[in-house]
Amino acid sequence: MKIKACALSSAALLAFTVQCAFSQDKPKPPPAWHQGKPAAMAESKLAPVPGKMTETPASEIPLDKLKLPKGFKAEVWASGLVGGRAMTMNEEQTRMWVGTRAMGRIYEVTIEGGKTSHKVLVDKLLQPTAVFANGALYVFAIDKVLRYDNAANGAAGQPVDMTAVFRLPPEQHHNWKYVRLGPDKKLYVPFGAPCNICEVSKEYAQIRRYNLDGSGMEVIATGVRNTVGFDFHPKTGELWFTDHGRDWMGDEGPEDELNRLSKPGQNFGFPYCHAKGVVDPDVAKGKKDACKGVTLPVTTMGPHAAVMGLQFYTGTMFPKEYQGLAFVARKGSWNRTNKFGYDVVTVKASPDGKGAKVTPFATGFMDPKDNSFWGRPAYLAQLKDGSLLVSDEQLGAIYRISYSAPAPAKKN
Amino acid sequence: MRLQVGGRWAVLTALFISASVHAQAPPSVARLKSCAECHGEDGNSLNAGTPSIAAQPRIFLENYLVLTREGLRGSDEMQRLLKGLPDRDIVAFARHFSSLKAVPAPGAVDRVLFERGRAIAARSRCGSCHLPDYSGREQMPRLAGQREEFLLEVMLQYRQNRRRGGDTMMSAALHGIPESEFPALAHFFSRLK
Repeated sequence: MKIKACALSSAALLAFTVQCAFSQDKPKPPPAWHQGKPAAMAESKLAPVPGKMTETPASEIPLDKLKLPKGFKAEVWASGLVGGRAMTMNEEQTRMWVGTRAMGRIYEVTIEGGKTSHKVLVDKLLQPTAVFANGALYVFAIDKVLRYDNAANGAAGQPVDMTAVFRLPPEQHHNWKYVRLGPDKKLYVPFGAPCNICEVSKEYAQIRRYNLDGSGMEVIATGVRNTVGFDFHPKTGELWFTDHGRDWMGDEGPEDELNRLSKPGQNFGFPYCHAKGVVDPDVAKGKKDACKGVTLPVTTMGPHAAVMGLQFYTGTMFPKEYQGLAFVARKGSWNRTNKFGYDVVTVKASPDGKGAKVTPFATGFMDPKDNSFWGRPAYLAQLKDGSLLVSDEQLGAIYRISYSAPAPAKKN
Repeated sequence: MRLQVGGRWAVLTALFISASVHAQAPPSVARLKSCAECHGEDGNSLNAGTPSIAAQPRIFLENYLVLTREGLRGSDEMQRLLKGLPDRDIVAFARHFSSLKAVPAPGAVDRVLFERGRAIAARSRCGSCHLPDYSGREQMPRLAGQREEFLLEVMLQYRQNRRRGGDTMMSAALHGIPESEFPALAHFFSRLK
């Protein structure tokens, strides 16, 4: 009966009648994305927050709503970078490149005397990001790696296609990449889990590093669900990275993480063990010691916060109490009734990750009174003068946060 | 599988180019008419593989138009039509078509297939994002009343990693739904009132 009905409806689509013939297969398990969505949340209408894909003029950015500690101020440093998120600069900080996700573009920003202008360097890519390394600009899309040589004064000409050597796996979900050059002159590249919660194959839920030519690939961290931001500790050189917690376990967690890799090969728990030892109710069922051997986070970062960019502050413009702190951008939640995050926080911890304390720094992107928001802070970068750049993926803008001591200047 | 009807494109492109001369003017009637040629006067498509755009969420339409202009999504024809279209016009087009009323796709309802599709959609919780009446919201498109062949092709594009420029959430959402179930889903959504 079913086969007949299917064939009839597909009369104009002969190609599909064969597939229809299999429609009597026994029911399949729910989609991975829904795996772990409990019956109690089946009717939930929480869904990812839409981005904005049209240009926002600087004059329409409500930066006056941003709240900063005393003495700090923010200004629009660049705008019109629709969908812009991670930033990378040349050593002189005369050029910056900003990647996107859906927009498929890499922007090249020219910085002159504190002013910026920009153009689209390359487009039509699948969720590209950029990293400046060793005089070259590397562009990592989900399915492609390009290298522009001699890019310090602007990338130009045909890039070298490096795709073959990096051997990127095909899944797209959670596979936008944040890429960073390590102190060891290697490229650090994450490969997220292509699901909300699932058992993953050996190519995913990990951080790898590669030599600059794409050789020497090593998996240096496993059990990493979806890290999209990291930095190297200014004292120890160790990799610290943010990681997103899973969805559909309720408003309160499991919380996002800030992790520290103290030696290559550590396992950070996904999919069995989340946050500071939350055993997964779906895939870890019946599994003893789900958290055994798992490196727990330096600190949790809040439920569904979407922790993104991480920047250790090594400048001297900001007051002493900020020097050496980690700044973390929390782009903000979707899988939560009341929005959470939409801010930049500082994390104070010892170099070995002890005693972590999270403190809000830049707030006001979101209004808890009506659950509305206007901006989504995504990535951070430090300028040579010690000011801090914050990219706002929602409005395609970069804000510069600077500090000047309230007069009379305190001795500090 | 080719979605667009090829015949009228030369005429439409000419219309579009003549409209482009007045790039600074508000979106012209001529431009909207060029959309209507394929997508229907009222935004409800009468061409099998061409999607209906009436009552699609405004943000979804904006995103679609931007991504197509950027060469990341849509047919070659749509990319050509939208090339260089300024954001301002995209915002105006999206507002216009989102305000129109959707009607179910034409054609008989196959009750068995329809009910099967309804069950798969419920089990797969398509309504969590696309809403229980599948009318869509924000960046998530209306499925109710959309053309059947179009829906089927889009699901296959997601499944085969051929759909570019979108959020990957939808690829993940289709994980675990066998391709053999796509025709029933497409039939169900298309015939919804």
